[in-house]
Amino acid sequence: MIEIQYAGQCDLVMDLGRPGWGALGVPAGGAADPAALAAANRLVGNEAAAAGLEIVQRGPVLRFPRGGVVALTGAPFAAARSSGVPAAWNETLVLAAGETLRLGRAQTGCRCWLAVRGGVAVPSLLGSASTFLPAGFGGHEGRALRRGDRLALGTGPGDMHLLRGGPPPGEPDAPLRVVAGPQVGLFENAGLAAFFGARYRVDAASDRRGVRLGGPAVAHVRAELPSQGMLPGAIQVPPDGQPIILGWDGPVTGGYPVIAAVIAADWPRLAQLRPGDSVRFVTIDVEAARALAVEEWDIKELG
Amino acid sequence: MGKQTTGQPYPALAWRWVSERGVRVATGEATLACYEVLNSTKFQEIEDIIPADGSLLLILRRGAAMSSDLQTALALPRDPPPGETGSLHLIPLEYGGAVGPDLPALAEQAGLGVGDYINSHASAEYTVAFLGFQPGFPYLRGLSPALHAARRASPRLRVPAGSVAIGGAYTGIYPTEGPGGWHIIGRTASVLFDPQRAAPALLRVGDRVRFVQA
Repeated sequence: MIEIQYAGQCDLVMDLGRPGWGALGVPAGGAADPAALAAANRLVGNEAAAAGLEIVQRGPVLRFPRGGVVALTGAPFAAARSSGVPAAWNETLVLAAGETLRLGRAQTGCRCWLAVRGGVAVPSLLGSASTFLPAGFGGHEGRALRRGDRLALGTGPGDMHLLRGGPPPGEPDAPLRVVAGPQVGLFENAGLAAFFGARYRVDAASDRRGVRLGGPAVAHVRAELPSQGMLPGAIQVPPDGQPIILGWDGPVTGGYPVIAAVIAADWPRLAQLRPGDSVRFVTIDVEAARALAVEEWDIKELG
Repeated sequence: MGKQTTGQPYPALAWRWVSERGVRVATGEATLACYEVLNSTKFQEIEDIIPADGSLLLILRRGAAMSSDLQTALALPRDPPPGETGSLHLIPLEYGGAVGPDLPALAEQAGLGVGDYINSHASAEYTVAFLGFQPGFPYLRGLSPALHAARRASPRLRVPAGSVAIGGAYTGIYPTEGPGGWHIIGRTASVLFDPQRAAPALLRVGDRVRFVQA
């Protein structure tokens, strides 16, 4: 069991999401960096798809009355164990009965993932344990965790290894890679020049539904189109010309022109954008993007 | 879609990439028929298909390419869409008053009395063109052209669940409380989306809907 002694900014139970329900208006959702959650699960001996926690910007204080085996991946947060010793990232942590894990603020980036041996036990809805906040279902009672919540855990696998994971190499300051289109033709030349030339700043009103950007207006010829299907990473430009990168819990359809879409290999970097960060875009072709699509974590025995 | 079929096969479908995982297929009037064909074929590389207004978005599994079978399916002329098959739903609806605050202004804009506006809205049979915006939110096609209305200039921050609304050429129903930019004309007690139900969405693409004044 995990007791929530203090809640973080928005702690959500997440697994790898529920793809396949788009025709009902339900996005796939799930961990913003599925490879990072999957790696955390592997570090505690779980299946990659077990449910864990996604923690954003400011973390919770978690108590483990019966102890537990956990792992943290993603952005490094200030984090301490009961003894005051910092909690390590990307490795198996064994917590004693009654131990607390105290997470503070993200030191760089925005989101981290906590896996726990056995996984967080919540009902599966539409094939997934992931919280979907916009409609209030999934995860723990369809909402972010609160002080006093208790999360039951599943039964862990039998054998036990102490492991360390190496995340795939990344360049956090590199431009986000996008495939241009499908409505690139609806934008004015000055709008295209702005979008592909300028830096945009991440707005505070960003969340799992979308990353809102501020910067030079991306002028277009037609502001509204018939509703079209959307997926995470699609960059919509509303009439005010300020782009929105759709996130994991964004609507499955939208009516604004899409100038470009961030490739799947860079979705984990979207997960780490925080208000005030600046982003640039660079185009890549579809074949090259597909070749990049599967990232590997390197997981080894500790010691 | 309830359209009269012409007997003419449809031309090859134009499509474009949306990142390397999305394939936006222009389907025009044949959206539902194309959805049924592509959905029932169960292409291995397709993770999800999202029908929308005149297009489908195919979402490919991570790292997957389009198979030659899928490319062939998009390039081949197809049979005209099948006849009407969707279930008919009767949705009880309370029009106007506190639950339909935009009704008087919409009726005036349409040059109709409130009663005539309600009659016009309630006498049509609608087809679920697609679901989107929120889980279970139906975009219902079949609204009388006199009732079409551009969206509100500023969206409401809280639209109650069950609100029936007008947006452009569509009427729709908000399944969940949340922000919304459509004009609210009434409310239904029907539950549009419940993830615990065997069929989570009350309405599916291709279903037909009639509103019954409560």
